[in-house]
Amino acid sequence: MKRPRLVILLSVVFLMVMGAPCASARGEKTLTMATTTSTDNTGLLDYLAPEYQQATGTELKWIATGTGKALKLGENCDVDIVMVHSPAAEKVFVEKGFGIDRHQVMYNDFVIIGPESDPAHIKGTSIKEALQTVKSLHGPFISRGDNSGTHQKELSLWASAGLPAPDKEDWYVQTGQGMLATIQIAAERSGYTMTDRGTYIKYEHNSGGNTPLKILVQADAVLLNQYSVIAVNPARCPNVKHEAATQFIRWITSPGVQEQIGRFSLMGKPLFTPNASR
Amino acid sequence: MKHAYGGRTVLSIEHLIVAKASIVGLRGPNGSGKSTLLRLLGLIEKPVEGEILFNGQAVEPFSPEGRFRISLLPQEPFLMKRGVFGNVAYGIRIRGDVRDLTGRVHEALSLVGLSGRDFVQRPWYALSGGEAQRVALAARLALRPDVLLLDEPTASVDIPSAERIREAAFKAREEMGTTLVIASHHWQWLYEVCDEVFHLFGGKILGKGRETILFGPWTRFDSGLWGKRFGDQHFIVASRPPSDESAAIVHVGSIEEDNVRVDENDVVLKGTITRINLERNSGRLVATIAVGHQNFIVELTERQTRERTLFPGKDVFVHYCPKKIRWV
Amino acid sequence: MDFLLEGLFQAVQLLIGGDAETYSAVWATLRVSGYSMGCSLMIGVPLGFCLGYFDFRGKKPLRTMVDTLMALPTVFIGLLVYAFLTRNGPLGDFGLLFTLPGIAIGQTILALPVVIGLTAAAVESMDEKLRIALMSLGANRRQLFLSSLWETRQGILAGAIAAYGRVMTEVGISMMVGGNIKWHTRTITTAIALETNKGQFGMGIALGLVLLAIAFCVNVSVSLLRKRN
Repeated sequence: MKRPRLVILLSVVFLMVMGAPCASARGEKTLTMATTTSTDNTGLLDYLAPEYQQATGTELKWIATGTGKALKLGENCDVDIVMVHSPAAEKVFVEKGFGIDRHQVMYNDFVIIGPESDPAHIKGTSIKEALQTVKSLHGPFISRGDNSGTHQKELSLWASAGLPAPDKEDWYVQTGQGMLATIQIAAERSGYTMTDRGTYIKYEHNSGGNTPLKILVQADAVLLNQYSVIAVNPARCPNVKHEAATQFIRWITSPGVQEQIGRFSLMGKPLFTPNASR
Repeated sequence: MKHAYGGRTVLSIEHLIVAKASIVGLRGPNGSGKSTLLRLLGLIEKPVEGEILFNGQAVEPFSPEGRFRISLLPQEPFLMKRGVFGNVAYGIRIRGDVRDLTGRVHEALSLVGLSGRDFVQRPWYALSGGEAQRVALAARLALRPDVLLLDEPTASVDIPSAERIREAAFKAREEMGTTLVIASHHWQWLYEVCDEVFHLFGGKILGKGRETILFGPWTRFDSGLWGKRFGDQHFIVASRPPSDESAAIVHVGSIEEDNVRVDENDVVLKGTITRINLERNSGRLVATIAVGHQNFIVELTERQTRERTLFPGKDVFVHYCPKKIRWV
Repeated sequence: MDFLLEGLFQAVQLLIGGDAETYSAVWATLRVSGYSMGCSLMIGVPLGFCLGYFDFRGKKPLRTMVDTLMALPTVFIGLLVYAFLTRNGPLGDFGLLFTLPGIAIGQTILALPVVIGLTAAAVESMDEKLRIALMSLGANRRQLFLSSLWETRQGILAGAIAAYGRVMTEVGISMMVGGNIKWHTRTITTAIALETNKGQFGMGIALGLVLLAIAFCVNVSVSLLRKRN
């Protein structure tokens, strides 16, 4: 009498298992991309993906991780295309033959944010001065500390200011987390941090426009944050959908889409400046 | 047949024959090997040495010839985690022939005095020990086995249930010709119901049941002889006991009403008759005589049986020959 | 602290409002835990039963190893599975990376030691009298095996529930092998990780409560099974 119930349960599980391959074998066109969490967090891809699907019938699927891992996925042939914002690492990626067809897509900039009261008085100064001041006044400065593209950028700023990268100092907090989480921690500690403008605007948007942290240092040439797409090299990875990747690159660098990127904004402020060269 | 656990021999039997449709009793103290013997006969385990033949064919655990024809009822009541119906029907179901399943289940239950539409629905945890054992017996009777092995069938249950169990077993023999092998320490009862009774001790069969066993420790008397003290009487043995744990098997020669010497070598002890039992097969009487705290068991002669001069409470004299003592 | 309350409200909103992303994550979680539980039970219960039932050389060390494997960190398993499923790995050509079945493979590895270990323990604590009773009723080897299995069902069920708990709540495997792709391999747990990383603690709590609600429903239906027995 109890057997039938068990049989039903097992059949349900069996059907679910069988159902799986069927779904993926439906033959839809997909493009798999590896990108960074900061890119994903801005919401740009959520904005562009439906447009892309309408235009080409291809579904964009993306995996958001740290820059290092994103490029690793490309190197391992697990994705068809990568979109990151780490020009130095990208250069190595292409040189080693992991990727081809690199195209710049858009940029935004990094900014230093801090408490409105600005106890260190770094507002309006250059990056070099600002960092030197923060160091001498013992911050606190909150860092990503996670080897992400943003973190690498921050470290390079310390270097360009002629200062050794902080590490064990009390006033230097390494969160090991994503950008939004790091900003929140900075807010809690009333400290300074470096973030990309896009994430800052998102943070503003999330807090309903009322944030304890404001942009203090910006528009310094070294603060540029360049996003690019690179197709994974089909010569190395015969399985990647190279045509789809190329199609995407052409699409995202096309004038129409570039314009759309420029219009992507939160709270009336655009997050990116498109700069695909023609 | 020999059987051992972890290198220790627990059973060592030269040969044993159980006749079809007979009732055989196994008596002996705890640890004498009764349960082990039943388990081997029930084809639950395979003996380390030797073999078991059923109707002339060698059988062992899972043998198709024995599987459905020999059934053991263990001492402790045990049911599977299902209702009464499921428990009784189990054996029938695994045999495959499920015609009139409900009828057969109810029939088996009525054999043990349990019945009712409600009763079959009861779950395993809602039964008393006696009810559970009766259900277990019903499950085995439902299979109409050729041989039914009962391990202390009345030990762990209440008196009314014990009655029902006994009744059901004997009824099975009457109506189906089932062979019964019963292990019990109620040896007096065994004599009353069994065709023959085997006495087990230390894994061996000593005899047909009327042996008297005396246990150590043994004392050395001033006279230099060995034995045991019973009040102011001495039980003497001919030779030194092999060890302090050895048990002596005494064959009591005779009991006399007067203190007469029957044989030169005899030792005589004075005791009181505490019981007299009727042995089923032979129609003879068997007396239990207390000498101090020790019981001696003697079969009465034909004359003594006929003349009925012996009765419980009477003082008698027990004769035995020290030289005829066997050590175990 | 207010994100806790905020989370509670959001949880209700997400469920009742039929938020598509949330339901997609719920469905993904149910599917993937269904596959992994199905596989791990089908493989693990017989193996665990044999481990507990039979005596053989090396039984004790094997039991110890199984118990140790119960503590495998999920990220570790995720890494291992990734190494196998990556394009250049031995199973790369099956295209299982970043799919739900891929995650299920990892979760099966996670659940198996739990199922095997707890089933073996349940079988070992099985009464010897059961074997005697079954054999005296005429069971052959196969019937003895199956009936013994059925009798220990409560213990096996406990093992299944423990395994299910581990599987439902793991993040390491889903993240590494699944990639947290929206609409495809985003499960409730990876969604929670994402939201928390974005600093959206309220949403994280909300999704956590949704997960609890699912687990509760599953356990209620399991307990109904138990009651009938």
